[in-house]
Amino acid sequence: MGKAFRLSSEFIAGVIAGAGLGWGFDALLGTRPWGMIVLMMLGFGAGIWNVMRASGFVRPPNG
Amino acid sequence: MAQTTTASTEHPAEAHGNFPPFDSHSFGNQLLWLALAFGALYVLMSKVALPRVAAILEERHNRVADDLAQAAKLKSETDAAIEAYEKALADAKAKAQAIAGETRDKLAAETDARRRALEADLHVKLAEAERQIVDGKTKAMGNVRGIAVDTALAIVERLVGKTPSADEVDAAVGRALPASQVQ
Amino acid sequence: MAEKIDPIHQFQLVKIGQPLFHIGGTEVVLTQSSLYMIGAVALITIVMLMGTAGRSLVPGRLQSLVEVMYEFVASTVRSSAGHDGMKFFPLVFSLFMFVLVLNLAGMMPYGFTVTSHIIITAALAVLVILTVIIYGFMKHGLRFLGLFAPSGMHPVMLVILVPIEVISFISRPISLSVRLFANMLAGHIALKIFAGFVVTLLGAGLWGIISPLPLALAVALTALEFLVAVLQAYVFATLTSIYLHDALHPGH
Repeated sequence: MGKAFRLSSEFIAGVIAGAGLGWGFDALLGTRPWGMIVLMMLGFGAGIWNVMRASGFVRPPNG
Repeated sequence: MAQTTTASTEHPAEAHGNFPPFDSHSFGNQLLWLALAFGALYVLMSKVALPRVAAILEERHNRVADDLAQAAKLKSETDAAIEAYEKALADAKAKAQAIAGETRDKLAAETDARRRALEADLHVKLAEAERQIVDGKTKAMGNVRGIAVDTALAIVERLVGKTPSADEVDAAVGRALPASQVQ
Repeated sequence: MAEKIDPIHQFQLVKIGQPLFHIGGTEVVLTQSSLYMIGAVALITIVMLMGTAGRSLVPGRLQSLVEVMYEFVASTVRSSAGHDGMKFFPLVFSLFMFVLVLNLAGMMPYGFTVTSHIIITAALAVLVILTVIIYGFMKHGLRFLGLFAPSGMHPVMLVILVPIEVISFISRPISLSVRLFANMLAGHIALKIFAGFVVTLLGAGLWGIISPLPLALAVALTALEFLVAVLQAYVFATLTSIYLHDALHPGH
């Protein structure tokens, strides 16, 4: 259960980080909603990347 | 939370209706206390507590290593002592065996010599005895001839009534007695 | 009755005494949360100092506890951050003990769980990630940014990967803090709901017969929560060590 929780939190954190960055980006540059959309997509990718790394599916970049 | 600054309120600031963990009004206060508490903890741990634990573990590690080295040294010393003892034992055994062998050989040689001397002595005595027997026999045989001659002389004198000459009788006895016995 | 079953009430901060002073618009006031934190620091310090007071070669009970904790965190740091990661050992040890004691303190009846407030876990996670960033730049300068560009990648791939790596990096303190906070919060809410359920059933006449069912669940959940409290402290320390590894060895 701990492992599942860790993986899901890794994924959610990636999405949250992407969305947060996008929100900040939009607020600064007034590009709403595009920054949010693009960065949330990237955050989605980062979330998947996090999960793959945490589950040992890909080699961690820091060896 | 501004309105709840009155005396020791046990009442939470429910006026906000916020979910407490997300109530941003309390963030500043909590952060301050966290910084104080965790800062103090970090300083206490890094400056006081952890070096002490590290020192204890280090000391134990060294002590154990020392003890192990000491034990190894003692063991090697013991091994050397055992080896020396075994060598001495083997030497003594070999020496004892050599002495025993020597003694046995000497005794055997002595016994042999004595036996041989005894045997030689016995041979001499035996030869002497045999010679005496032969002498005795010869003498006895000589006596037998004399007795035979005398007897024959007496018998002839008694039977015939006259005394035969000694030479006649002697010749007759010489004929009657086998040559082997006369010798 | 309604107050007893309210599963949120337990997370409410309670002020104790007058506000001490104000900094800007923020009033500084002692709360039960601050008391728990101070208590945790005091407890950890007392245990650590009493455990090491004897300095005996053959450890007593308290000293073995201290040594086990020390060795446990040290081996975590060594295996996750490497041998040179031991310079961060005091930080990881403080984090682990702090989170562990506060998690377990929340398991006491009527206890308050400091780590169920996201601002606390977020602050700790930000502390970790700031340590990583500051130390990384101090030690490696701009080469620290190589962390975001996996070597041996096609330049076109880098255009996509670098933002993803950056977001992934930023998501670390978020996942670190959200995981701890969410575990503590969800566990305690679930406990409270089941416990409240038992009380409600007992007060509901005939339905009291089946009250042992949620009680058994509450007991099982309590056991699980103790496990989670320890596990989350360990996960926090392990992930901190892994992130510190990046600060030490950003290259590939």
